[in-house]
Amino acid sequence: MAGVTLTEVSKTFGGVAVIQGLSLDIAPREFVVFLGPSGCGKSTLLRMIAGLETVDGGEIHIGERRVDHLPPGERGVAMVFQHYALYPHMTIRDNMAFGLRNIGTAADEIATRVEAAAKSLEIGHLLDRKPGQLSGGQRQRVAIARAIVKQPELFLFDEPLSNLDAALRVRTRLELAQLHQRLGTTMIFVTHDQVEAMTLADRIVVLNDCRIEQVGTPMDIYLRPATKFVATFVGSPTINLLPGKASDAGGVALVTLADGTQLQTAVPMTGLTPGDTTIGLRAEHVRIAADGATKATARVVERLGERTLVHVELADGSPLVAEDAGISSVRAGDVVSLNINAAAAHLFDADGVGRHAA
Amino acid sequence: MMRSRNPVAIALVVIAGLLMLAPMLWVLALSLKSNAALMADTNAVFDGAFTLENYVAILGNGQVFRWIGNSLIVSLGMTVGVLVLASLAGYGFARLEFPGRKILFVIVLLGLAVPEQAVIIARHQLFSWAEWHNSYPALIIPGLSAPFGVFLMTQYFRAIPKELDEAAMLDNASRFTVFWKVLLPLTIPAQATLGIFTFLHAWNDYWWPLISATNKQMFTLTVGIASTQMNFAQTEGLGFLMAQAVFAGLPILIVYLFFQKYIIQAVAGAAGR
Amino acid sequence: MATARASKHDWPNALFVLPYLVVFVAMIVVPLGMGMWLSTTKGDLFGVEANVGLSNFTRLFGDPIFLETVKNTFYFVLLTVPALTLIGLGLALVLNTPARWATVLRTIFFASTVLSVTVVTLVWRLVFLPDGGLLAVISEALGRTPIAFLNNPDLAMPAIAITTIWWCIGLPMVLFLAALQQVPRELYEAAALDNAGRWTTLRRITLPAISRTFVLVVIIEIILQFQLFGQPQLMTLGGPNNATRPIVLFIYETGWRQWELGYAAAAAQVLFAMILIAAMAQYLVASRKGAQ
Repeated sequence: MAGVTLTEVSKTFGGVAVIQGLSLDIAPREFVVFLGPSGCGKSTLLRMIAGLETVDGGEIHIGERRVDHLPPGERGVAMVFQHYALYPHMTIRDNMAFGLRNIGTAADEIATRVEAAAKSLEIGHLLDRKPGQLSGGQRQRVAIARAIVKQPELFLFDEPLSNLDAALRVRTRLELAQLHQRLGTTMIFVTHDQVEAMTLADRIVVLNDCRIEQVGTPMDIYLRPATKFVATFVGSPTINLLPGKASDAGGVALVTLADGTQLQTAVPMTGLTPGDTTIGLRAEHVRIAADGATKATARVVERLGERTLVHVELADGSPLVAEDAGISSVRAGDVVSLNINAAAAHLFDADGVGRHAA
Repeated sequence: MMRSRNPVAIALVVIAGLLMLAPMLWVLALSLKSNAALMADTNAVFDGAFTLENYVAILGNGQVFRWIGNSLIVSLGMTVGVLVLASLAGYGFARLEFPGRKILFVIVLLGLAVPEQAVIIARHQLFSWAEWHNSYPALIIPGLSAPFGVFLMTQYFRAIPKELDEAAMLDNASRFTVFWKVLLPLTIPAQATLGIFTFLHAWNDYWWPLISATNKQMFTLTVGIASTQMNFAQTEGLGFLMAQAVFAGLPILIVYLFFQKYIIQAVAGAAGR
Repeated sequence: MATARASKHDWPNALFVLPYLVVFVAMIVVPLGMGMWLSTTKGDLFGVEANVGLSNFTRLFGDPIFLETVKNTFYFVLLTVPALTLIGLGLALVLNTPARWATVLRTIFFASTVLSVTVVTLVWRLVFLPDGGLLAVISEALGRTPIAFLNNPDLAMPAIAITTIWWCIGLPMVLFLAALQQVPRELYEAAALDNAGRWTTLRRITLPAISRTFVLVVIIEIILQFQLFGQPQLMTLGGPNNATRPIVLFIYETGWRQWELGYAAAAAQVLFAMILIAAMAQYLVASRKGAQ
């Protein structure tokens, strides 16, 4: 199994450099997710690794081999496309065999591999049908089976779950996780859905505007977001961000909000200038509690079943999303007390760089 | 349409339809009369004595079959040629990068504006210098240059999702394999349209075969029918002439009745360029 | 797919378009250039004698026969294009329904279009024949003397026009049918709810919706009918007295009967220019109207 190394990779579109000096190391057998909003460059990056886009600067290595000048077929890579890209006029069997036939694999070897892949994805009964006769979920599996048959060193997935309905998406997510456990192949998965990223990835690469914002395990990303962008992109509901003034309180930052609330964070003052800052608090650290220190007015209450999200307004009008237990008696318009766990707060400076508790 | 139809309008259209049929029925009727009867009195059409002698005469006279054979060879040859050239070029223009691609495509499109008259004299000269008239290639080659086919195939290839090409490239398919095994099978409707249009155009072509296939053996059907028309003045073989017209027109009408949808689609599509 | 500028090793890709391009250059580009060069020469079957600059053109514009052919061609276009367009539209409006009778009629109206010009002219000569033709037989049955249409200088062109309309009516009808089927049903439903009568619906909803196709049909027919050739060549030989000689017949006879290739080429260039101008003018008029 091969890892992937991107070294100072850049890409130009029509004279404008969109990706510049991007470097990344993916270990063998890793499941890496490229996460980011539309247009952030994650698909472009994936396609550059696949060979479907040219690399205008830098190098790409798959395993020991340098591949950025090789045509897609020679990189040992298989890809599952967003819209599956199955050949409409060929049977499923031929769809799967096409790649192997092109490189002259023996017919019985092809047959063995096709049967094996079909069996592992439970599409054996569909082999003689054409893609037009299959449902969306079945086509998905065929697309994956087609990739497996090639026994590649690297699997690439380009938003493969976007076209599935919600229930199917969850099921397929689980199957992909199991697939990775079974095959152990290095996998790169592109998505804009942070839930997919968090549940599937060994490591997540968060991209924004064609730049890497952070690389880390899901918990890293969640607990120690490197930038304001990462903090807001990952986590549901979106992290609460409030402006405040930071001051030194014995080596750690004390943040005073507009309504006077004082929050004693655990963020060290090293490198922090006292003064304006942004404090980030996830909803689960802002709890409705009878003995809470901060007063607020509930505006909208969302009951999710396992928890309740209460959209509140502080004394100065600042909005916050607070959490309560699944069974909550809060109603819109109620005055509530909030218990804020300031020790879990993050601080973001003017450039968006995040600082966290040590 | 939800509105009720104006009965007067419908009646007018039905009458018009009958008027459309009248000339063809007239010719059919005349073809079933003996030449002698018609020479004596052309109003003999209505006296009810019909005969198949004109058709027998045609079958005995090998000329018409020679003409039909030539037309078939030329039409089929041109159809196959256009399909091959236009498909290859369409794929190249739609999917492949090469220097000058954009300019070349624009130039081909400009070719659509060039009418036959602007090039036919020079074409005739070229084939004269090459001493290549009165041959099947001479009748087929000029028709292969029509930009319409390239335009149609390029548009059609462009409409196919690029993901298919990309999947095939990842499957180690060469450019030609992508063309031959992946994309071409998906263009069958366009091939049918283009093929039928080209066949019809080749079959009915008049001016070029007239000046290029001057040898009686090389006459296509259209030219052959025209040549016998020239002897019209004698009205000697009026019935025979009409039988020839029926013979010439009927096959294509039958083809039309079977392939109506495709033919109409092809002609309308060509005009809509 | 790979983007950015095509690089040097993309040349092999051009092999796909090469076969067609060879034929294109040989049969369109070269002859086009040659035609323009020929139009400035004086020559015949055996070769070019001399380059005479633009004198072919000046001769054309002073040639009474050529000018007559230009007049005839314009006359013919005026006779056929409005008729083809309006009749085609009318037929499409009435026949735009899936009913059986409409399908049969549509088939009939388009059938004539698949015939070749030689078959069509043969058929219609039989109609116009003063001695025993369809029209003659009918006139005699009505007690009147048959008219020799094709021998009458005033009636010959209209006769050819009628032949042509019979031959070509299928295309405009089909194009209008396609356009009518694109008009969203909701427009008609809204009009019905607004109490619009049949005429109003036609004028205010249907016609504006297909206006682009209308322009297209007119342009196409102008271009097609400017190129009139086979019908007069076979039916009247351009007579009587040049009454039915169009420009293309002039080119044919000058080139292949009189073997004055340069002169014929010049006439061809003039026709080419006229077609281009007519099409462009129509297009400009239409796009200005549309912009209003």
